[in-house]
Amino acid sequence: MDTILAAQVLLADGGSSEGGLFALALPFVVGPAVFGAIYGGIYRYYRNKDKRFGFERETDIQVGNLQAFDHHVGDKNRQRSATMSGANQDDPLQRVGRLEVR
Amino acid sequence: MQQPPAPTQQAPSAPGAQPPPPAPAEQIQDAIDEATSGDRVIDTDRGKSHGLDKCPRCGSSDVHYRIESRALVCDYCRNEWNEDNAEKAFHLDTPIQELRGDHVASGAQDVQAGDSMVTIKCQGCGAEIVVKSDETLQARCHWCRQVLSINHQIPNGAVPDAVLPFTLTREQAVEQIKKFVDSRRTFANRTFVKEFVPDNVKGVYMPYMVVDGNLHTDLRGTGEITTRTYTVQRRVGKDQTVSERYWDASVHELGRSFDVLVNDLTAGSSRQYDRTDSSAATNYILDAVQPYDTREALVFNPNYLSRFTSERRDLDIDDLDERVEDKFLTIAREKARPTIAQYDRGVRWEREGVAIRGTRWITMYVPVWLYSYYQQTSKGSYVHYIAVNGRTGKTMGSVPVSHPRIFSLACAGGAVATAAAAVVGWGVFLTQGF
Repeated sequence: MDTILAAQVLLADGGSSEGGLFALALPFVVGPAVFGAIYGGIYRYYRNKDKRFGFERETDIQVGNLQAFDHHVGDKNRQRSATMSGANQDDPLQRVGRLEVR
Repeated sequence: MQQPPAPTQQAPSAPGAQPPPPAPAEQIQDAIDEATSGDRVIDTDRGKSHGLDKCPRCGSSDVHYRIESRALVCDYCRNEWNEDNAEKAFHLDTPIQELRGDHVASGAQDVQAGDSMVTIKCQGCGAEIVVKSDETLQARCHWCRQVLSINHQIPNGAVPDAVLPFTLTREQAVEQIKKFVDSRRTFANRTFVKEFVPDNVKGVYMPYMVVDGNLHTDLRGTGEITTRTYTVQRRVGKDQTVSERYWDASVHELGRSFDVLVNDLTAGSSRQYDRTDSSAATNYILDAVQPYDTREALVFNPNYLSRFTSERRDLDIDDLDERVEDKFLTIAREKARPTIAQYDRGVRWEREGVAIRGTRWITMYVPVWLYSYYQQTSKGSYVHYIAVNGRTGKTMGSVPVSHPRIFSLACAGGAVATAAAAVVGWGVFLTQGF
């Protein structure tokens, strides 16, 4: 479904000649994508390699004494995406540069 | 996060020679260091010597844990009892914000190799019985048939500070495993389906380190807030235009600094079942059946283990502290989320750090009903686990797949999708042409 939507976007985005050519290529994109999605989906359902204990949500944790700063440093105009590049607020398992804290 | 330093050993001195008394200034400095470091050992040893661990009512040594009663049961007089709650007995419920330095329970200290054979003198008949503590913590006297237990901690990681007994029965676990596999039969490996016998499930106590932490964390990053969204029409041909959507954003540098109190964070402490190593077995399955209600853990008594198997702890605090520190950072990042809601375009955390003011480490056996399946592959054998949390019944597992079956379905799905896409694509092509 995502591939079909992507194809529609590309068709809309390109010129008429590009759109026509891409329309001919559509089956060669959609077929393998559906094959991969079915294979990957079933494999994941059986093997569950992606499952883990969400300790960061389920452990008993208390927080307090919050100190925060937010400094405006500039503007970015005419961005093509609704999300910023490199956003990682939803991936707490990813480690970033270490800061020494006292 | 470091383990407390080992006590320093004095250099041997010549017989009769008196060691020079330490200078008062050094004594005072030592006292100050000890007081400020806060490092200490929490004694969780029951203080009983190895040997008979009798029923408090009739004195029998034949005792086992009965899941239905959720208690230790004497095989002779049917008396039922439990050990005390570990958290209360060891005063682990003191406020975490008061933790300073590392507090390590006596059962969580470093594992030492070469101490697995323990000789117990039977208090019934005087015979000496050798117990291979790597494999079991109890043995029956050959002569008088009484059960002898390893009753206090030995430095090989086999005796934890606390135990969380099973509450889910074997029948319930078998039912859970059956249900799990039944929903995954169609594309399962055919040999697995043929050989699947859920009754082969084993009750296993797995060793975990349970950690409390008093932390302060600091996060720095960049965030963006949408200030304007608009659509621009762009000409792409003689008489065709496309709509393009754009976003303007304001960029902010941000920092969040806060205290975190973590209560009962768990870390697996068996090398063989390490979650990060799935090269020989699906170890990640054991991680996924958490959480355990660790607050309900009881003071360890080897009778809880009789009729079950247990996995000896072989990872020390030094092996786990980096992993636990990473978990603390993950917790910090997760807890910072509500404070960045205004950054609708997202936040890119760039620096993170944690100051660990105090920790408390205890070892605990937690209950798992474990079904293992050895799949023979061209590279040897690979172990698939289906695990059931022995407290909550939460089930997770790995079922070996039949690749030809999945391949067939994926091919069929791919072919249908290709045909549908060909029809759509041809239609578009005829409409637009070259």
